[in-house]
Amino acid sequence: MKPNVNLETDHDANDVIDRILAAEEELVPSSGFLAATMERVRDEAACPKPIPFPWLRALPGIVLAAGVLGWCGFELARVVLVNAREISFTQLHLTATAGRALEPAGWVAAALAVSMLSWLFARRLAGRSGLL
Amino acid sequence: MVLRFREEYLQEMQAAISAEEDLADVNRVLAGEAQAFEGIVRRWQGPLVNMAWRYCRDRGRAEEMAQEAFLRAWRGLASWRRESSFSTWLFALAANVFRSELQRFPAVNVPLEDVAEPAGPATQHEGLTERRTQEAVRRAVLALPTRYREPMVLYYFHEMDVAAAARTMGLPEGTMKARLARGRELLRKRFPQLNEQSAPLKSSTLQPKKEVLQ
Repeated sequence: MKPNVNLETDHDANDVIDRILAAEEELVPSSGFLAATMERVRDEAACPKPIPFPWLRALPGIVLAAGVLGWCGFELARVVLVNAREISFTQLHLTATAGRALEPAGWVAAALAVSMLSWLFARRLAGRSGLL
Repeated sequence: MVLRFREEYLQEMQAAISAEEDLADVNRVLAGEAQAFEGIVRRWQGPLVNMAWRYCRDRGRAEEMAQEAFLRAWRGLASWRRESSFSTWLFALAANVFRSELQRFPAVNVPLEDVAEPAGPATQHEGLTERRTQEAVRRAVLALPTRYREPMVLYYFHEMDVAAAARTMGLPEGTMKARLARGRELLRKRFPQLNEQSAPLKSSTLQPKKEVLQ
């Protein structure tokens, strides 16, 4: 079924909408606006610049952390693959060895997830407060 | 005809001078002369306050939001890449500021279907009714869904220039046109009497952008 469209009427109505919205009254900023804005700008200019993040100093730590994480991931994958060979298709539960090996890995994963969530939450809060 | 060309020529000249002044002031600010920012605020305070007003229709809040936009412009002045004009960059930045400010503390808007309709022409003075209808339509723009509201606000703020509004929003012109069409359609549905009013309004002499002194 075709929609009930009257192009001419719609065009006229658009014309009216255009006229109404284009004829918006213009505000004149209050007399103190310029001074108040410049005062805030001057305050900001007087503040010392934020200290940049010391990437150079942090670099060894970041590299070390990345290495440890990579090594953990590699070890985890290795243990899982080794144990996976021992599991037959009929045996759906994990073997005792694999269970023991995966237990600390689960905790590590949980800790990483919590750290990630707290970092995201902190960023969100900082973003809302205009710090970022 | 000659007068119109002269007016357009003067407008272009004015824009060119303003662009040169903006560039000079930006360079001075970046060189460490904070006071030079005053020239930028002086030139752009009117447009930014008016743009903010169209987003919230609250004078006090419009000035606060415009001030915040100037402050963000001050902080991010070095990020203006000079590929686009300073005004395009400033309006895009201001639109982002206004959008996020209104997300944090939304303007008090009524749903589109609850926007008060003006009383019938028989009961009111014609001029008053017309003014009420116009005000209702303007308020109804703020009650549109966000994706249609902002294109409508920016299109009329930029004096019905789709390209300028699209640049401010960072949208392709086609998308902007589609959203404008949908926004108008929603307004038409809300105010069916606009069709009937098209004739008298066409003949009326609405003054574009008349100034309101405080």
